[in-house]
Parts: sequence; C-alpha cells; structure tokens
Amino acid sequence: MASGALFTFFLNILSALVALLTSYYAYKAHRFIPNSLLWAISIGFMLLGLGLIVDAGTSLVTGRTLVESFSDRVLTLLASLSFLTIQMVAYLIMAVGYARAAFGNQAKTAAAPLALAGSALAGLYGYSILSYFVTFVLLAFIVFQGVLLRSGDKRGLSGMVLLAFALVFVAHLVFLVSVLVLGSGLFLIGTVVQFLGFLSLLIFVVRSEVVGPR
Amino acid sequence: MAQGEKQRSVLRINLDILNAVRDEGEAKPTHILYRANLSHERLVRYLDDLTGKGLIEMKQEGENRTYRITSKGVGFLIEMRRAESFVQGFGMAI
Repeated sequence: MASGALFTFFLNILSALVALLTSYYAYKAHRFIPNSLLWAISIGFMLLGLGLIVDAGTSLVTGRTLVESFSDRVLTLLASLSFLTIQMVAYLIMAVGYARAAFGNQAKTAAAPLALAGSALAGLYGYSILSYFVTFVLLAFIVFQGVLLRSGDKRGLSGMVLLAFALVFVAHLVFLVSVLVLGSGLFLIGTVVQFLGFLSLLIFVVRSEVVGPR
Repeated sequence: MAQGEKQRSVLRINLDILNAVRDEGEAKPTHILYRANLSHERLVRYLDDLTGKGLIEMKQEGENRTYRITSKGVGFLIEMRRAESFVQGFGMAI
C-alpha cells in the first residue's frame, strides 16, 4: 500500500473521531443550553465525522488495490461523491447555524444558495472542484462569522475554535488547488493542515470539559 | 424589574441563584435576592422552581427560611459550567 494513502487514512480517521467527539459534546451542551448553533454544530460535525470515515475508507481501498474493475471504479466514485456531498452539507448546516447566531432567524438561508448550485454540475471532476469550492466559501463564511461573534465576546476558548476553522479553511484552499492542478502532494499537505485544525478542536473540547465549578 | 434583568435569560438567572446559594452554604432569601439581582416576587418563583427540580432545598426554622444546594444542584452547576465553556468557544453566551 502507498504510504501516502495509509497516512491519509490515519489522519482522516483521527479527524473523524475528533469531529464525532465534538458532535457529542455539542449535543450534550444543547441539552442544557437549547441553542440553534449548538444543534447545527452537533449535526454538522456528526455528518463531517461520518464523511471523513467514508473518505478514509476510500483512500485505504484505492491505496491498497489498483482500482481496475468497473464495479470497483463505480464504488470508488460513489464513495467520493458521498464524501464530498456529506462534507458540503455538514459545513452548510454549520454556516447556517453561525448565520442565525450572528444575524438572527431572518438570515437562516444566507448560505443555502451557495450549496444549491453544487447539484448543477455533472461529472466527478467537475463536482469535486465545485464541492471543494462551495465548501471553501462556506468555511470562509464560518470563519468570518466566528470572527464577528468573537469580537463581541472574547471570553473562554473561542480563539481555539476559530483557529480550528481557520486551519480547515486553509486546508480546503489547498484541496481546491490540488484538485485544479491534480497534485497529490498538495492533497497530502491539505490533509495534514486539516488534521491540525481538528487537533485544535480536540484541545478545545478537552479544555472545555476540565473546567470545574466557579 | 431590577436593572439588567431584562437582558438575562431564565437559565442565567437560575445559574446566578444556584451560585449564590452554593457560595453562601445556607443562604437567606435576602442574600440570594441581592446576589441574583431580582425582585422578591420573581425570586420566590425561581426558588420554588429550583426546589421543585431538586436543585436546592429549603430549611424552615420558625420565621427563618434558608436554602441549601443539593448534590443534584452541584452536579448541574458543574455540567452547566462545562456547557457554558463549550458554547463560549463558539462565540455564544447564555
């Protein structure tokens, strides 16, 4: 198996575990503090975690075997399409959650048109470019909303969450470029940067859990 | 209505009351009233609600009435502190 594929597999699995952990803690916090952003974070990270597991599985299969038969190619194609779609929907849900938190309910569809355009293109390559682009724009939106919300209240560990989203945003910029120039080395760099983003998120989740009573 | 109360959520008020009761040990209503910045009428309503949920308990000795936090209340405060820290990370406040 190519070492790059194995490396991508492990980083994606670790990122998926952090995403699922964040989803669980957002769900737990939502039980105490009913808030639409927490709901969006919980659902979004759950989808993201599942998508990353699908992506990790795909990278493992394509790295281990030569995908030659028609059925294998169809399966790989479907897995890639599933991951890209799940990822886009996950970030869309989080972007809408952030929009609602920043502007109120009237802004709930602010990010939706960005993703709706994604279903227009056919073909995996075109779909990959478009979905990475849409995800990139959604992440830019999330980071912008995060900066807006943080500027109003700088308490707590919000800097770590912002750093996490910023790193995932940079990773998707690298992914987008790597898809455009078909560079597997760039894709690997993007995976590492994305993992660093999830690592920052993990530190935040752990630190928010260890706080005791005031 | 006390000044500043309008901006606080019901959850925030409940937390202020619970923190006041926990810090005092055996808290008199007047102390809680001062710490939670509430009118007497609203304070009674909140105290009844928190007592009903088992988060605080009332002790009556003659004319004197005091409140004490229960173990369930302490657990709730810890979980709330964690949840608050989590939501603050995403730029929100209670």
